[in-house]
Amino acid sequence: MKLTVNGTEHEVDVEDDMPLLWVLRDELGITGPKYGCGIAQCGACTVHVDGISVRSCQLAAADVDGEVTTIEGLGTPQALHAVQAAWIEHQVAQCGYCQSGQIMQAASFLDLNPEPDDAQIDAAMSGNLCRCGSYPRIRAAVKTAASRLQGV
Amino acid sequence: MRGLLFALLFAGAGAHAQTVTREEGLAAWERIYAVASHPRCTNCHVGAQQEPMWEGLHYKAGTPHGMGVKADGSRIGAESMPCRTCHVTAEGRNVASPAPAQIDDAWRLPPVEMDWLGEDSASVCAQLRDPERNDGSDIADLVVHLETSAFVAWGFAPGPGRSVPPGSVAQIAADVDLWGAAGSPCQ
Repeated sequence: MKLTVNGTEHEVDVEDDMPLLWVLRDELGITGPKYGCGIAQCGACTVHVDGISVRSCQLAAADVDGEVTTIEGLGTPQALHAVQAAWIEHQVAQCGYCQSGQIMQAASFLDLNPEPDDAQIDAAMSGNLCRCGSYPRIRAAVKTAASRLQGV
Repeated sequence: MRGLLFALLFAGAGAHAQTVTREEGLAAWERIYAVASHPRCTNCHVGAQQEPMWEGLHYKAGTPHGMGVKADGSRIGAESMPCRTCHVTAEGRNVASPAPAQIDDAWRLPPVEMDWLGEDSASVCAQLRDPERNDGSDIADLVVHLETSAFVAWGFAPGPGRSVPPGSVAQIAADVDLWGAAGSPCQ
């Protein structure tokens, strides 16, 4: 089947029910999305499908119905996405394992809701777990990114 | 299918819809309410409440959906985290709880007016027969909804680890037909 990931079309020979996460990591070598729980309880595997955040461990390869974006395709070192830049500014990451999922979640969230209030930020990010407890810095970075995206 | 069920229901008695008594209608309503008040339905039929509900596994009755999920004004969580972030739209992959359910429809909560969570029989009955509060549906529309909704179909076959309401899609569709034929009586 064909999958478009980060703007590149790939032909992959996989079972229909292989989770997208496995296709990305094991078939395409795109290892930004991480395996955490496998049941959409942690958010480490979050990618975008047509710009909407999805847990790639839950989405079967045959059910992908749009273009996939992973952390590798969100920005580049030369042109970071505003969320990535805010993450660096606030030095959010500790061990870093959950952070690609956190960033992908935040980027999709701010695309849908450019002017979120604090409660909406907390709700949007509550499905992404961080065992290092970087939540206060995540919240601060999301607020910074929201401001930057609004041109404030 | 509906026609066949209807025919079977009434073939024995040779009855016509107009001969369905109020008592028969009320009995059908009791069966309908047993389904409508089941957590499989009320987990999403939460009215204006922001949080859908969870039930089953170790979750006690009255447990809100985890992950801080909020339906928001959009009722799909677009202002925070969309339902579809975790709930895949696809047919036939009947995942076991606690992995998020998948159905072949756009994940969303029912209209706010269709508030069943914690509501008694009289309240749900009055709401369901009121087109102002039942998504503009007449009885035939409600039957079609029951027979064709991916949400309803999943509700009666939610997969391992999730409780199932009494009856079946065919039975509740037939009961709503019967209830409507009796004039949609409420207690």
